[in-house]
This record gives sequence, structure tokens and C-alpha cells, in this order.
Amino acid sequence: MTWVVRLIVLLPALAGLAGLLTRRRRAVSAGIAVGTATAVALLALAQWANPLRTADIDSFGGLPLLDLSVPLHLLSDRLSGLVSFVVAVVVLAIQVFTVWYLREDKRYGQFSATVSLFAAGMLLVVQSADLALTLVGWEIMGWCSWLLIGHDTERYAARRAAYKAFIVTRFADIGMVIGLVALAVRAGSTDLLDVLTVAESDGLLTVGLIGVLIGVAGKSGLFPFHDWLPDAMEGPTPASALIHAATMVAAGSYVVARFFPLYAVDDAARLLLAVLAAVTMVYAAVLAFAQSDVKRLLAYSTLSQIAIMLGALAAAPVEVGAAPAISHLIGHAFFKALLFLGVGWLAVLAGGTAVAKLRGQLRPRGALRWSIAIGLAALAGIPPFIGFFTKETVIDAAFEGVAEGVGIGAWLVLVALLVTVVLTAAYCTRAWLLLDGPLQARGSGSATDSAAAEPGDADTLAPEPAVAGSHGAGHADHAPITLPAALSVAALAVLSVVGTLFLLGVKDAVHVGLSTAVLSVLLIAGAALAVWVASRRGHDDAADRLPAAVLAAAPRGFGADGVYARFGLGVVALARVVVMLDRDVVDAYPRATAVTARGLGRIGERAHRAIPSLALVGLVVGVGLVVGLGVATWL
Amino acid sequence: MALTLLLLVPLVAAIVLLAMPAAAALDRVISLGASVVTAALGIFVVWAGDSVDVPWIRSLGIRWHFAVDGISAALVLLTVLLVVGVVLHALAGPTPSGGSRSTYLGAIMLVETGALATFLARDAILFFIAFEVVLVPMWLLIRRFGDDHVADETRADAAGRFVLFTVFGSTLMLIGILLLVSHQGTSDLEALARMHGAGLSHSLEVAIAAILLTGLAVKVPLWPLHTWLPSAHTIAPTAGSVLLAAVLLKMGTYGIVRLAVAAVPEGVIALSPILAVLGAVGVIWGGLACLVERDLKRLIAYSSVAHMGFIAIALASGSHTGLQAALFANIAHGIVSALLFFLVGDLKEQWGSADLSTPRVALRDRAPRFGVAFVFGLAAALGLPGLVSFWGEFLSLYAAWSPAEGVNVGVLRGTVVVGAIGLALAAAYSLRVARILWAGEGAPETAGEVTPAGAREAASEVVVDERGIRWGVVLVLIAVMVTLGVLPHLLLTISEMDAAALLTGVTR
Repeated sequence: MTWVVRLIVLLPALAGLAGLLTRRRRAVSAGIAVGTATAVALLALAQWANPLRTADIDSFGGLPLLDLSVPLHLLSDRLSGLVSFVVAVVVLAIQVFTVWYLREDKRYGQFSATVSLFAAGMLLVVQSADLALTLVGWEIMGWCSWLLIGHDTERYAARRAAYKAFIVTRFADIGMVIGLVALAVRAGSTDLLDVLTVAESDGLLTVGLIGVLIGVAGKSGLFPFHDWLPDAMEGPTPASALIHAATMVAAGSYVVARFFPLYAVDDAARLLLAVLAAVTMVYAAVLAFAQSDVKRLLAYSTLSQIAIMLGALAAAPVEVGAAPAISHLIGHAFFKALLFLGVGWLAVLAGGTAVAKLRGQLRPRGALRWSIAIGLAALAGIPPFIGFFTKETVIDAAFEGVAEGVGIGAWLVLVALLVTVVLTAAYCTRAWLLLDGPLQARGSGSATDSAAAEPGDADTLAPEPAVAGSHGAGHADHAPITLPAALSVAALAVLSVVGTLFLLGVKDAVHVGLSTAVLSVLLIAGAALAVWVASRRGHDDAADRLPAAVLAAAPRGFGADGVYARFGLGVVALARVVVMLDRDVVDAYPRATAVTARGLGRIGERAHRAIPSLALVGLVVGVGLVVGLGVATWL
Repeated sequence: MALTLLLLVPLVAAIVLLAMPAAAALDRVISLGASVVTAALGIFVVWAGDSVDVPWIRSLGIRWHFAVDGISAALVLLTVLLVVGVVLHALAGPTPSGGSRSTYLGAIMLVETGALATFLARDAILFFIAFEVVLVPMWLLIRRFGDDHVADETRADAAGRFVLFTVFGSTLMLIGILLLVSHQGTSDLEALARMHGAGLSHSLEVAIAAILLTGLAVKVPLWPLHTWLPSAHTIAPTAGSVLLAAVLLKMGTYGIVRLAVAAVPEGVIALSPILAVLGAVGVIWGGLACLVERDLKRLIAYSSVAHMGFIAIALASGSHTGLQAALFANIAHGIVSALLFFLVGDLKEQWGSADLSTPRVALRDRAPRFGVAFVFGLAAALGLPGLVSFWGEFLSLYAAWSPAEGVNVGVLRGTVVVGAIGLALAAAYSLRVARILWAGEGAPETAGEVTPAGAREAASEVVVDERGIRWGVVLVLIAVMVTLGVLPHLLLTISEMDAAALLTGVTR
């Protein structure tokens, strides 16, 4: 059975390579991409149904180093089986959807190949039992995200967003690399089990865990690294679905979950995790509410939801473990993939993702309307959708954390969770009222319009026409959706309803407390009602009630992009100083040596010219005198 | 026998090529035949573990002693195989102006001879001689066959810098070698490694190590002795740049391992904080310079300074992992920089310059082969896992975090942080280049649609994609990069035992 585990990683990697080689032939690359995704989903199903419970599956042999053990093992247990299965299913849905979505794109082949490779990276992180392999998968995902987000390299905004995504995450990976190295040094091994068994808390552990946490904050978009994610919406919608739903951003939660036993004993790292998660949860939810572009709204909601998973890890007591976070990861994977694909589909029909474009577009759409309704309901956490169960499990875990004295971090997370429940319900209600509202609302407000014209891109230098700022816009005359693509959306909708069943096999993955459930249902209902009232029963945009300053700044993420850009400019200024120093100081010594040598040469040359020098004349005269004197005396 | 032939074949070929009249057409056959035969011999020698040891200068006790072991095997393979690629590449395109093709090829073969002799030499004096053999043909490549778009003085400056810097370094190295040899009473590198510094007082050992490291640091090059590299790389023709980056720089790090680490270990450990700090400064310095550098060849040269900085950090750790990481990163940088210089050289041949600030077409669309190859090359340059450079850099950071006994842990851990920042910088500059070349940043936004064809755009629109033999060479390099990235043990096992032996002074 171990070959199943290996194949789950190997197949998509090979599919990525094969897809790259056959990228010119659309049918072949589509066949490879979808075929492999199906095969991987089946393999993952087999692994999940019959898990091996082992952590020493050889991948390609350990590295021959004498003072460090790098076995490069893969693992297989119920958790990894379930997560790989979910990842594989979501990837399959995305691949099927992409065949239709990028039907007219001349780079479909590259795109689907990159998605395959991306999946390989994520599955490697999931199956990895070795810190080095985790880092391998982690970085491969980062690279693929660069390729996917920058898919439309013709557009400045896409190039910039791709660059930003990779640089921000890579910057955070400074922490990741140092953290993994520190953890490996502690154990003298990169093997996950070895690292986990050295459980006593010490300084090196704190350094390692905080380092890993910084890396996770980058990839998962925790504050203050969050701003790359909304910009990543410049990528085609399937790429957004992939990055947001089951891979990349979720990978951070998975990695922290694997290290949970270590985080549980290190208070400093855990408190930092709690603070970052709590801040991001609430902050991103507020921003989501005020967005004027639906894709960006979903992006901010992803940030908030990922923070919920990490919050669960920060607050859960040791006995509960990482299961609540993982179950929310899985629930989120289903409903967020559903929402992205659904909105992508809708954007093709409506010709854009700005709220102004999509307003009221959902009402006449049948199956799509239902799918998005299910997605938003699951996101808001309305029973009986999967989001309700997983979120309640997290809240319950936080309650237990508070009860069992996990400390201030658990309190922080719990409060943030309850606030986030309200905010999430609010922005979901707003999104639904806008999408499903009356087609032509009363003047949608100039603030919304101007913001929508340029979807959140802080860089006003973007040279393309304002409307083309987001990917879907170019597809107004797109072919009607194909049955497989529609089915993949429908399948995700079904999974968002019944997906809870998957979780039942995992201990503590679904654990709903009655009182907290009642409380959050009440909170959700209250928030929804408030938004409904604020929007005058769906005739207005509820966000228009926000202060104008907030409304204007929110689509740009409150200027976070500017801070990043200033940081970048600072580095470039430093680079200019370095180049100047390199030329004028470091290289001055060799040049000075050359000048000195040449000068000395000139002096020497002058001293040896054929013209008799004064000294020589003096010498000859002197010698003559002496000789003359001698001769005269002798005579 | 095979080993002597391995050195003689390229040497004879070089002499014949340099001596033959410019009009003769045989140079193609000779150079290609010689490089292929050398490659076959090289593979055989590595496989058979061949060695040769006969007296040479009796009065001085210097022996004609060449052998191959785990430390040098990979470098020998890299050299012989890469030269085949360089020769194929040179034959597949126009010869750089400045002389006849046979001279050009002869210089390449002579560089190969010197490099192979350096990697195989088992006698310190022999090592020094071989080290110097490379200088003249490389000077020829830069001075005569260098970029003819620049003034003659610039070429003279680059070539002169290269020679003077390197000679300065090797003079220091010679002083170090002589000190070492006179105190230890033998110039045999194996004996010196066995002695492992025994019999030398600590201060003497530190002094010898300091002289040797300074001398070799010029070749590596370590900050602040690197300023010859960017100009040499910019001016040198493609073959020169490739050999310089992939082979010549490695002679520096190889020398550090073979001479300093093996013969004066305590001295190296005492100096390791300085070595590590200089390496770390190089990582940051090179990375930052790459962020604003406009000439692509200079940029790759500065990135070499950064990559060699990682090797210095790994060597400074003094541990087995560190040595393995250094040897691995050596090869990795050789392959990656060779790939990048081939690509940039081919572009420069078409464009006449490698200036990044000139708006160009997006290679991704207009020359997809160039595009794909650049994506691979730049991904490797930023240390992407799955490609060859990742393992060297990751393992050197690990090694620096837990260095060998006696090495200053605090300083070394500081360099880990700096090195990790350098990885982020590598990402920033690699993607900067990708954004400009691959995605066509700065190119007219509406490429493919109706544009008022400005004269400036029109000039840069012309780009012929890689094809034929040159594309084959690039593909092979990419394949090697991926293979070693996925299966790093292929290299690590070669050097495993000998690296351990070298660190402990025990001969196998």
C-alpha cells in the first residue's frame, strides 16, 4: 500500500511535467490534467479508506550526511488521508472547471500543468514526514502561485500581483527556513517523529516554532503579511479557487497542526499564534464587508477563515488536539472552492467581478443561484451546512481551551471567534443581497462605482482600461458552460452540504456544543437581520452605511500595499547604496593599486631615460676629477 | 594511464588548435573529438578511481601525482561534460570576433586541461601550477574574444583585472603552500591531509590558513575581493562566462577544501567566523546589487557572489553536513550559472547587449523555448526545491546552525539569519529578471495588436528562439538540474566517505 502514498505525490508532479511538454495540444493536456486528478482522487480515497498509519515510507532514500539524519520519509495516517482526499477532490473539480473556463486561453496547457504541479506540492506537504520535504512542497506551491497569479502576463496588474505574492511569502519564509533548521537542529534530524519526540520546551524550540509561525503567517496571509492574497485575485478564477480553498493558504494550518504537540508546550509561540489569528480573523472580516469586488470579498473572507483554523490551534487544549482546525480546513476547502468557481461562472456571464457588474445577476440563474446560496450559507455557518459544524467545533474547542486554562490566548481567540461569526454572517448576507437583489438598484453610489472601476489595485499606474482590471472581464462572449464544469460546481455544492459525514471518522473533528451553537445561530440571525434592514430589504448596498473614509480605503486594504511598496523601495535604496559602495569603496583599492603601480612605473621609467641625468653627469665628472687628481698626484 | 590521457588529450588538442592556421577546417573535428574523448576518459577515470604517481622533479621531491576521489569526482565530471556542451555551443554559432575559431576552441581546451589538472592534482606544487595554467587561455578569451560592443579599453580592463586579481590570489596561495610544505616536509596532498595539521603550532596553522584562505578567496570570490568577477563575466564571450562561473570559481572552493580544510584544519576553524561573515556579507551584497543591476551578465555575476557566499558559510561550519553542502552547492552553482550564461549569451548575440532597461518582447510569447529555459534557470537561481540549488543552500544553513566543535556558534547562527534573508533577496532579483525578460515588463502592453511601431520597439522585436544543438545543450542542463534536484543523493553519496575522511584526517 505504500506505493499509493508515493503515487499521490508523484502522479501530479509527473502530470505537471507531461502537461508542460504537451502544452500546445489542448486536448492532450486537458486529458492529462483531468485524468491525473481523477486518478489521484481515487488513490487518495483508497488511502483514506484504508490508512496505513506509518511515518516511514521511503520517498527516494535518505541523504548521506553523518551529523544530520534526513530520511525524507512520507507518512500516512487518517488525517493525511482525509486531507489528501479533500485536496484531490477540490483539484479535480478545479481542473474540470478550468477546461471550460480557459477554453479560449492560448496558455491553457501551461495553466493546467501548473495546477498539477501545485497539487503535487500541496500533497507533498500533506504526506511529508520530514521537515525538508515539507519545505520542498511549501516552496513549490509558492512558485506555482507565482505562475498562476501571473498567468496573464500581458497585464501589469497580474505581473505585479504575482510578484507581490511570491515576494511577500518568500520574505516570510525567511522565518520558515530558520524555524525548520532550528527544529531540525534540536532533534539532529529532519524526521517529523524525531522532531516531535523532543518535546521539552527550550529556547531553540521557541525560535523554531516562531520561525515556522512567521512562514505560515506569510503563506496563510496572517496579519501583517495578509495583503498579497486579495491582489492574488488577478489570477484566473480557478487559480484563486485552488490557492484559497484547499492548498497554499490552508497548507499553513496543516503544518501548524502537524506541529501541534510542540506548540502546545511552548507558551510564547502559542500566544503569538493566538494574537495573529485573532487580529487577522476580525480585521479581514471587517475588510470583507466593505469590498466592492466580489472576488476580493471572498479573498478577505479566506483570510478570516484561515485565521479561524489557526485560532483553533492556538486555543484548543492538548486533549482536543488539532482535529477542529483540520475539520474547518476541510469544510472551508469545499465551500470556498464552490464559491470561487460559482463566482467565476457568474463573472463570465456578467462580464466582471465588481459588485456593480454582478449586482442582481444571480436571480435568473437556477443551479448557479442555488450553488452560491449554499456556499454563502456554509461560509456564514448556518446549519446544516458543513461550515456550521466545523466552525462550531472550533468555537467549542476554544471554550474548552478557556475552561482548561490554556491562558489568555484562548480567551482572545474565543472573543475574536464570536465577533467573526457576526461579521461573517454580515458580509455573507450583504453579498447575497447584492448578487440576488433587484437587477437595477437605485443609483449604486458613486463611491462604489469609482472603487469598482479599479478593483482594489492600489497602483493607479495600471495601464489597461479600467474595466479590464480583473480576469473574468475578457470573457463576455465566452462559450456557454459545459456539463462537466457545471457538474463540478454542483458536486462541490453537494459536498458543502453532506461533507460533514467525511469528518465523522476523525476523533474530535465534529464536536458541537449545544449552548454555543444556539448562541452563534442567534448571532448569525441577528447580523443577517441587521444587514437586511440596513440595506433596506436588499434595495441598497449595506456597505454604503459605512463611513465614507472606510469605504474608500477598504478596497485598497487600508493602504497595506503602500507599506509593502515603501519597504520594497527602502530595500532598493539600500541596494543602490551597495552598488555605489561596491564601485566607489570596495573597488577603489584595486583601482588605487593600479594607479599607484602605474605611477611608480612612470617614475621608474623617467629615472631610466637615455638622457644623462644630473647625477650621472656629476658622477662622471667626479670620477674624472678623482682620476685626474690621482694621476696628477702620482706623477 | 587513463588519467594521464585525460590530461593529455585536451592539452594536445589545445596545442594543435592554437598552432593550426586560421583557415583550416579541421578545428571542428579536433575540438569536438577531443572534448568527447576527454569526457569519456573522465567518466572512466571517476568510475575506476584511477590514479598516477611517478617522480617528476626529483631534486624538489615533487611527484607527478594525480588521482580522483569523492571530493573531486563530481567536479571532474562537471568539467568534462560541460566542456562538451561549451564546444557544441561554440560550434553551433558564430565565433566571437577577435580571432580565429581554432584559437577560440584551443583556449577552451586549455582551460579544460588546467581545470582538470587542478581537480586531480595530489601534490600541492602541482596544484599551484595547474591553477595557473588556466589564467592565460582565460585571459585570451576575455581580452581577444570579449564583447566587441564595448571599447577596447574596457576589454583590456576586464582581462587585466581578471589576471591581476587572480595572480595576486595565487601568489598568496603559493606563499601559503610553501610555508606549509616547508614545515611539513612534504608537498603530497594526501600526506598533508593525513597529518591534518599535526606538528604545526596553533599560531602557525592559523597564519598558513589565513594566507591560503585569502589567496583562494580571490578566486571564489569572497566579498570584498569580488570586483573582478562582474567585469570579467560581462566582457567574456559565452564560452568564457560559462567556464568562468562553472569551473574556475569552483577551483577556489575546491582549493579551500583540499588545501586549507584538509591540511590546516585548526587554522580554518579559528578563522571560520571571518569566513562565515564574509560569505554572509557576500550573500546580502550580491543579492542587493542584483536588485538594481541593469546588465544581465553582471547581474548573474553578482548572484554568483551570493551563491558562493553560501558555500563559504557551509565551509565555515566545519561539519560533515557543511562540507557536503559546500561540495553540492559547488556543482549546483556550476550547472545553474552555466545554463543562465548560455541563455544570456545567446540573447546577447542577437540583441547586442544584455541591458535589462531596454524594452524587449516577452520571451514567453515570442521565444517560448528561451522563456521556459529562463523560468527553470531563474527558479534554480532562487533556490527552488526540486531543482539542484535548493539542497546546497538548505543544508549549508543547517550546517551553519550547528557547526563543528570549536567553531563560534553565535556568529555562525547570525549568518544563518543573513543567509535566509539572502534567499528572499534571491527570489526578488530572480523574479525581477523573469518579469522583465519572460513576461516582457516594459514591452508595449498591446503586443500582438495594432501598435504604432516605434523604432526602438522594432529593434528589439527580433528574437530567434533557441534551436538545434544549442537548444539541446540547454535541455540537457535543465534535465540535470531537475534530476539532481529530485535525487540529491546521486551527488552526496559520491563525496560522503571522502568528506568524512577529509574532516578527520583519516585516509581511506
